[in-house]
Amino acid sequence: MTSLKRTTVGDPHSTNISSKVFVRSTKSGKVQKIVRELYLRQDIPCSSTLCTLCLSNAPADANGIALEDLRCLCSIPALPFILSDRPAGTKAFPNGHYLVPDTNALLSGMDLFEQTSAFYDVIILQTVLEELRNRSIPLYNRLVGLTKSEEKRFYVFFNDFRLETYVVRDPGETINDRNDRAVRRAVKWYGEHLQQAMKAAGRTKRCPSIVMLSDDKENLQKARKARIEACSLHDYVSGLADADLLLDMINELREGQDARASHGALLYPEYFTKSKMITGVKAGTLHQGLFNVSPYNYLEGSIRVPAFERALVVLGRENMNRAVQGDAVVVEVLPKDQWKAPSSKIIEEEALNRNENADADEQEAVVTEQEQRALVEEAKKTQGKSIERYPQPTARVVGIVKRNWRQYVGHVDTTSVSLSTSEGRRQQTVFLITMDKRIPKIRVRTRQARELLGKRVLVTIDSWDRDSRYPIGHFVRSLGELETKEAETEALLLEHDVQYRPFPKAVLDCLPKEGHDWKVPVNKSELSWKDRRDLRDLLVCSIDPPGCQDIDDALHARLLPNGNVEVGVHIADVTHFVKPDNAMDSEASGRGTTVYLVDKRIDMLPMLLGTDLCSLKPYVERFAFSAIWEMTPDADVVDVIFTKSVIRSREAFSYDQAQRRIDDMSQKDQLTVSMRTLLMLSKKLRKKRMDAGALNLASPEVKVQIENEASDPVDVEVKQQLDTNSLVEEFMLLANISVAGKIYNAFPQTAMLRRHSAPPASNFQELQNQLKVRRGLELRTDSSRALADSLDTCVDPKEPFFNTLVRIMATRCMMSAEYFCSGTQTFSEYRHYGLASEIYTHFTSPIRRYADIVAHRQLAAAINYEQLDSSLHSKGKLEDVCKNINARHRNAQMAARASIEYYVGQALKGRIVEEEGYVMKVFSNGFTVFVPRFGIESLVRLGDLAVPEPEATFDGENYVLKTAGSRTETIVLFEKVVVKISDQKEESTGKRKVRLELVRSGSSL
Amino acid sequence: MCHRRVVESNQNPDFPNQYLPQREQRQHRGDERANSSPAATMPPPLTHPLFSPPELSYTHTSLLLQPPIRPDARTPTQFRPIIAETNILPGTNGSARICFPDGNEAVVGVKAEVERSAGVIGSLLRKGGRGEGGGGDDNEEEGRKGVGENAWVELTIEIPGLRDDDALPVFLAAMLNEALLASGDLVDRLWINQRWHWKLYIDILLLSPPLSYPIPLLSLTTHLALLSARLPRLISEADEDPLFDNDWEASIHLYPRHNKSSEPTPSKPTATKPKPREQPPVTLLVTVVGENIFFDPSLEEIAVADLLLAVSISETIDDSEPPPEPKPTTTKPPRNIRLLSLRTIDPPARLTPPGVPDALNTAVTQAETPKNKAATTDADVDYSGVWVPPKGGSKRKLIGRIIQMVIEHGGVGEEVLEGLEGVDVG
Repeated sequence: MTSLKRTTVGDPHSTNISSKVFVRSTKSGKVQKIVRELYLRQDIPCSSTLCTLCLSNAPADANGIALEDLRCLCSIPALPFILSDRPAGTKAFPNGHYLVPDTNALLSGMDLFEQTSAFYDVIILQTVLEELRNRSIPLYNRLVGLTKSEEKRFYVFFNDFRLETYVVRDPGETINDRNDRAVRRAVKWYGEHLQQAMKAAGRTKRCPSIVMLSDDKENLQKARKARIEACSLHDYVSGLADADLLLDMINELREGQDARASHGALLYPEYFTKSKMITGVKAGTLHQGLFNVSPYNYLEGSIRVPAFERALVVLGRENMNRAVQGDAVVVEVLPKDQWKAPSSKIIEEEALNRNENADADEQEAVVTEQEQRALVEEAKKTQGKSIERYPQPTARVVGIVKRNWRQYVGHVDTTSVSLSTSEGRRQQTVFLITMDKRIPKIRVRTRQARELLGKRVLVTIDSWDRDSRYPIGHFVRSLGELETKEAETEALLLEHDVQYRPFPKAVLDCLPKEGHDWKVPVNKSELSWKDRRDLRDLLVCSIDPPGCQDIDDALHARLLPNGNVEVGVHIADVTHFVKPDNAMDSEASGRGTTVYLVDKRIDMLPMLLGTDLCSLKPYVERFAFSAIWEMTPDADVVDVIFTKSVIRSREAFSYDQAQRRIDDMSQKDQLTVSMRTLLMLSKKLRKKRMDAGALNLASPEVKVQIENEASDPVDVEVKQQLDTNSLVEEFMLLANISVAGKIYNAFPQTAMLRRHSAPPASNFQELQNQLKVRRGLELRTDSSRALADSLDTCVDPKEPFFNTLVRIMATRCMMSAEYFCSGTQTFSEYRHYGLASEIYTHFTSPIRRYADIVAHRQLAAAINYEQLDSSLHSKGKLEDVCKNINARHRNAQMAARASIEYYVGQALKGRIVEEEGYVMKVFSNGFTVFVPRFGIESLVRLGDLAVPEPEATFDGENYVLKTAGSRTETIVLFEKVVVKISDQKEESTGKRKVRLELVRSGSSL
Repeated sequence: MCHRRVVESNQNPDFPNQYLPQREQRQHRGDERANSSPAATMPPPLTHPLFSPPELSYTHTSLLLQPPIRPDARTPTQFRPIIAETNILPGTNGSARICFPDGNEAVVGVKAEVERSAGVIGSLLRKGGRGEGGGGDDNEEEGRKGVGENAWVELTIEIPGLRDDDALPVFLAAMLNEALLASGDLVDRLWINQRWHWKLYIDILLLSPPLSYPIPLLSLTTHLALLSARLPRLISEADEDPLFDNDWEASIHLYPRHNKSSEPTPSKPTATKPKPREQPPVTLLVTVVGENIFFDPSLEEIAVADLLLAVSISETIDDSEPPPEPKPTTTKPPRNIRLLSLRTIDPPARLTPPGVPDALNTAVTQAETPKNKAATTDADVDYSGVWVPPKGGSKRKLIGRIIQMVIEHGGVGEEVLEGLEGVDVG
């Protein structure tokens, strides 16, 4: 009998075949043994431009063009191969060197590899890349990004597919050992191969060294034994020019490990095993959710889980158990006798633990004494109170499903830096305080503590071990001096995860070749005219905020012979330029939205499209996507059509200009008349909407006036709402609703829609109670109509602003609207609560929102203009798009708000203003005040009232805070107060913020 | 030959009664399979041996001799050499292949799948019900005793030319399954925790048409496949949803080895006594001709057997016993072999056509006077040297002797297991 097994002897091809065996556990719980065959080859190039051997051997690409031919074709000598023929040298490697990092080196030093000052010509082995993917997906993605950038010269070498570098796992060898051996084998092969190549080419120059970078002592030792150049990341970086800077970027994870192992004091409970968590979550004994830290109290976290209507509260550091804002965690609900009411006290980290030593080598407790005291006081209060103040279920974190650590912007805690050490260059541990108050202090070891003082810096968290009170991280880079516009703007963009890098070349390549000279083709037989209506004779105009460059919408209206009115909304035809699934489309999809900062706009699409080719600029012909209604004079829609079109806008108005033109009765031209028609119709539409129960929640928007780019802002004003604002708004809503219905009919499973779910009644409980106790008003929340009506009754004749204040607070109780794919919800869930519309989508701003681009494509397919791209047929893909743009949308809003906040602070810099404000929230040791004039809301602590801090009695049931002693004031919710506004640099975040001081409270007003 | 008669006279309860009628039905149907595969319509030679009565008589006679002479000159307990290898199917958890010199060849693959146990409470109640007072201090091991369910093992046999619902594969599968489940040891090994278990699929493929009764071949191959089978290493604890080590090298043998160093068994403190380990069963085929007992019968021998017996045994290896002092003699320590089951198989000899004695043969007696013919009675006819199909039945004592020969120290069982141990099971 001959064996059926594949043997290694006899078969000449047997050495080319190997296999890889592993166990795969699928999500559905299946456990499979997987056997993968490996076909080893000898033509995988080394990609060094020094090597001609590989170039001639390299396999042809899918089109059959060999790399060598390609070189001839392009007549660029070194195009196909990546690694430089003159790699940089260092003291240790004067002949130049290629780097081969192992997985540990990448895990601990990814930031280094992204540096532009060093780390060029890097060979990433397939073994390493795969191992990295198993260890950390974010790092893997960053590495893949690096390998794609041409200037860094990172080459992925598929060592496990090349015969010479493939290693078979020895019996009894661990996977790690095998991989380390594979790395060493590849390094060795590279060295020998290059020697050979140089010899073959007859070059006399010395061959560059191949240097293995590893943080594994054993691996280094074995490498040295095998005569391979190898060094640890630390040693390598020490030999570079800006070693101090670079050394700080090495992950703390490994370095500190040995040192801290001796500590032994474990401050936090251990996490459950993964399987225990999964079982618990499935069985319903544990709950999984996103961990959120209260912005007012860093010791209080909350987690929304499906099993509980109210969020679970996590109190105290020990229960939070190293969870950081945004992590996906698993929690265990504590017994009922430990349930507590949510706190009514502001607890800020820096106020409690001000003078800690970051180098704390002595035993440290999880909970500092101060924290303990704050918590005990809290507990006393909750127990003293009547139980009616809804005790909430509390929980403790028992495990982390996924860390959502990102890079954080912050500044070095001045008190943690010891300036006394005159040596300066000594490495010391400092605390880094993040801008986001919900993130704990991060312990960072650095050699440049002094230089970093007063700078905005970017850090990441590396680990948080059980024996460390704070997470440990490392420094990434400095953004610049605190309070410089550049640093603050970049900080803001980074904090809100806004992609602000310039568009890559691949994206710009997708733009039309004609550039700014692009014009609507004159010849109507051109392909782009196909199925396009010529609407150039219509009197179209656009109304936008002043200075608007990216004009997405324009309008027209004309009387029809039958007495009805034809109204047209014309939207920039962005999808004519942005085709699905090209580089520009994926970039836009990734960015999701344009972000508007006070002085800057981060575009979703390249400028050329956004401000020129797509923008419906006046006096030029532009492609548009039009929705045209026939309406009765009572604004009832008779008919609607959608069509791609060509328009020529007659004028671009600002709201203000348009308003004046309409109001100016001497103007009798057709354009003005049609605008008046539009205004008349819009008012009727608005009334209908309001009758249907739409909410008017407009809160005052603040505009910062800037004289020019370079100067500081000069003034702050509240935006005015004109009739023309609502004119545009009404027709945009109408267009969005009409389009939503159309695409839903065409694609019931995959339409891109937007919904706003009705808020659960519990969200309004607090506000309802506040209104009842303070004003005897009733807020009904059973439907949006009821809410709208009862909001209208919330008026205080003496206080015209009171109604707006209540509306602002009601808005905060609501859910946020979100994009979704129609197949993922039932029809009843499609409702837009705020607009009181059955169905809604975004269609009218494709230049600045990606959702609109999707809606455009779907509408184009719905009217048989074009085929629907397959990606828009897939529910899964659309869901991913929705998830991303929802997050981007939120971030953009927060970034815009933060930008305004920063500029308001800057505008007030050095000024002191007294202004009226309203109490929005009362805590036991402070309160927040909203100042409508500047649209700012800020905290006033009791300690700020007077020195020493006045004694206070807090009546939580009546929302009254009475102070006595050093200052007597009565702070009552909703009451008007007068505050002194000045600017102040906030210690904790390093932001310049407005500081409010109480001048007079309501009682003395 | 008349099938009907055989069915009527069939006293063997193990023989499925529907066997022959079913076959007839299909032949009558004359379905399309007849064209595509001649083997499908031709009865396998083992149930219809194609020997003439004189041939059968000759074999029978030589096997009756004292000492008997087997057609291939083996001794009664001697086995034909087999060739075996394991782990031939990389995608399975364990696999084996065995070739018999007569051309019979089988491949067995074992696959395991994680499955949720149906009734948690049910299995809890049964817990300990079957547990024998083995006396162990290891709680986990004790908890595993008797928790397995027979449904956790699924065994299928595929024989070329036969449908999977044909009687032969179904019958063979039932017989092998019975031996596997007999002690409850295998299914207990499949227990992961109270809520989860492994489901074992044993797929047996006979590569050649069944030239002789394939039960020993299939059983030995299954035995080796099970020995080579490995399960991913569990890394979760207690009753959690199971999670496994994704390194296949770290997987654990379904039947743990001797204390081989390479075996990644969880290191236990040496103080605890290792449990006796039961090995997968082996089913042997034994024939009886007259008073003579033959192991590993060839096709000719089966064709004339008075009795065909499938004997299933398994070995329990007790590592806890200190290995006996190495004696100067080469005798090996006795193995702890246990009889699991015993099945009689309807011997195909009963289906063979009987020989006709000359006295009754009209072709021979034609020349003689017709009156003679009338006078002739059964009793007078000389049947010596003429093939008479056996009527079946055998003595208790004989079966006792067979069992004795299989399980005794130095017996056939030990010899077979020893031979199998020579196969590297990875």
